[in-house]
Amino acid sequence: MDIKAVKTGWKKLAKAIEDVDYAVFGYDYSVSLEQSNVRDFATMMLDNGFYLVDLMAVHVAPSIEVVYQYAHVETRCRVMARAFVDSNNEIATISDIYQGANWHERETRDFHGVVFTDHPYLEPIILAEEDVDLKPLLKTEAALKDVDVVRRKQPEPKVETAAAKSQEPS
Amino acid sequence: MAEEKKSLLRVHSYTKECIERYDGASSQQTKTSDAGPLVQMKLTDAIFDLCRANSLWPITFGLSCCAIEMMCCGMARFDLARYGAEVFRPSPRQSDLMIVAGTVNRKMAPAVVTLYEQMPAPRYVIAMGNCAIAGGPFAVEANYDVVLGVDTLIPVDVYIPGCPPRPEALIEGILQLQEKITGKRFPFPQNKMPKGA
Amino acid sequence: MAMDVEILDDPKHHRYVLNMGPQHPSTHGVLRVLLELEGEYAMELLPVLGYGHRCHEKIAEHKPAKSFMPNTARMDYLGALIYNHGFAQLLERATGIEVPERAEYIRVITSELNRIQSHLLWYGAYLLDLGAFTPIMYAFDDREHILDILEDVTGSRLTYCYFRVGGVSKDIDDKFVTSTRAFIDRLRSRFPMYEGLVNGNVILQKRLIDVGELDPKICSRYGITGPLLRGAGVGYDLRKSEPYSIYDRFDFEVPTETKGDCMASFLVRFREMEQSLRIIEQALDSLPEGPVMAAKVPKKLKIPAGDYNSSVEAPRGELSYYLVSDGTDVPYRLKVRTPSYSNLSVIPEMCQGMLLSDVVSAMGALDLVIPEIDR
Repeated sequence: MDIKAVKTGWKKLAKAIEDVDYAVFGYDYSVSLEQSNVRDFATMMLDNGFYLVDLMAVHVAPSIEVVYQYAHVETRCRVMARAFVDSNNEIATISDIYQGANWHERETRDFHGVVFTDHPYLEPIILAEEDVDLKPLLKTEAALKDVDVVRRKQPEPKVETAAAKSQEPS
Repeated sequence: MAEEKKSLLRVHSYTKECIERYDGASSQQTKTSDAGPLVQMKLTDAIFDLCRANSLWPITFGLSCCAIEMMCCGMARFDLARYGAEVFRPSPRQSDLMIVAGTVNRKMAPAVVTLYEQMPAPRYVIAMGNCAIAGGPFAVEANYDVVLGVDTLIPVDVYIPGCPPRPEALIEGILQLQEKITGKRFPFPQNKMPKGA
Repeated sequence: MAMDVEILDDPKHHRYVLNMGPQHPSTHGVLRVLLELEGEYAMELLPVLGYGHRCHEKIAEHKPAKSFMPNTARMDYLGALIYNHGFAQLLERATGIEVPERAEYIRVITSELNRIQSHLLWYGAYLLDLGAFTPIMYAFDDREHILDILEDVTGSRLTYCYFRVGGVSKDIDDKFVTSTRAFIDRLRSRFPMYEGLVNGNVILQKRLIDVGELDPKICSRYGITGPLLRGAGVGYDLRKSEPYSIYDRFDFEVPTETKGDCMASFLVRFREMEQSLRIIEQALDSLPEGPVMAAKVPKKLKIPAGDYNSSVEAPRGELSYYLVSDGTDVPYRLKVRTPSYSNLSVIPEMCQGMLLSDVVSAMGALDLVIPEIDR
């Protein structure tokens, strides 16, 4: 797998790509996506031989962030792709591309209330049917934090490079 | 799956009904959990109790971690067969002992009650492990799903604490249940002490 | 064996829905599978989860990250030390705590013992599902030896909480080393007995060969990892591909098969036990002296803001912890990606059109532990 070719493909779709220190954070790349590019990104990853490790949501202000984790089987390459849901808590499904996402999306719906449009069967999977509105992992007003609080802090620019480095968006 | 069959997925949660039905049952424990047969004779009852105590048939009801210790108990080292209880039946209709080994949550609660009610009397329940006694490590404020103790649903005869309890603890629980059924520990024909102890 | 399509479309044949579980001897926990059967062929399968849900991820948001360690053991109780390892590694990476050498070796030795114990239990329980009552007795006997060794040093038999952030909680002594070496010899001498007992048995071969075939493409789409993926021909083992801890110092193989059916994953798990023994031997030979706990581990372990990931090879596949931290010692979000969750999701596609007894075979070969699916 040619990582450079894959990254070129990402550049067309992603808002931002960040190289991450594997020794500290445990993954290699963090890719920010628009909500509308999620499906194209997933198709591209499937064609390049990545498998879907995980799909989860994090409740931050202003809106819930859905994180997709992909990994490659032959060379070490772990990618976290992020996308924010829209104002109706909706985002496109990728369960027709990666069938494993079917259950992950149902679980995200259970815990966070994120609705995946065009999902074939978005019913509760882990919670009981009558708990469909429980959404236990949504944060209360007091506990909800802004999205910048949970982003990794960029290292301080060194004094030698006098001009302030513009911080890369996560 | 056909549309009309999808309604089979609905699980009726009647936890509250169960609590009302068996309210306080654990505290008013008698030797058997219901009135008993119409004609009762002391000597035959004593003989039947001896027979029941020495051949308890548990139901395969391992829910989580404690189930593994229950399996170990049935294997060669901790041999439950010497107390007559190694015949784990899959069907509740053929068993008289329900060892609730593991955590019961709100989705599983109706199944626990249904299985209990399908067991023919006289039937006994052992709550094995901290989760079955009082919710165990999940009895925290953040919990929204775990039933805090199976005795909120069905009457329990013996409680075995531990997380998970050792197989020896489960054997002690079975022996205490035998004592509860017959009135004395090591009922005939069991030896009073294991040979060589 | 699947039915021909023409019969399926014939309206004279009607289907009925059968409920398998949540209390069932072959589902290995509280799993419910709704089977739409046509005669004895399972046309559609719908697993229903959630009967063992214990709110782990919510609990993680309400207690300091360090004290979540016992909960990690309760998720997969058969591979508890490996779950501990993944979580301890996550926090150590995030906070920059270095684990002493001796502790790393102890972690590897105990994790591999745990892996062997898990595979032995799988072996016994799987064959019990298929109707063989003897192998589980032998497997549990060997397993008890491992539990004795681990109990001396960890204090528990099943849900271990032995690893800490920065090392392990208690040092091992010479008794541990001698009894482990004795156990390695014992298990090696028992392997021919295990193989001779069942591997050539015609019933086992008829029930396992060509049942539940997976190929690498399906595995990629569903996120299947572990012995199932290795049985399908892909030699992906996180201990080799993303070496964590000190696994890159040991010489071991990653057994693979080509067919991807139940027999393939059966043989893969079998050979993995032998490879784990090799790792333990090499680790014992080169065990260094030293402390078993890092020098300075703060009582209140503040995790810098950001998101962290830690992936380890559990007995069932790839286990990943994903932690989002807001800078305090309480995690903002913790997601545990358990291998059985993704492995089970292939059931509706893999088992479609199979005989009911083949469904039992296929589910046993997946090696499910339901509390790790429901968390």
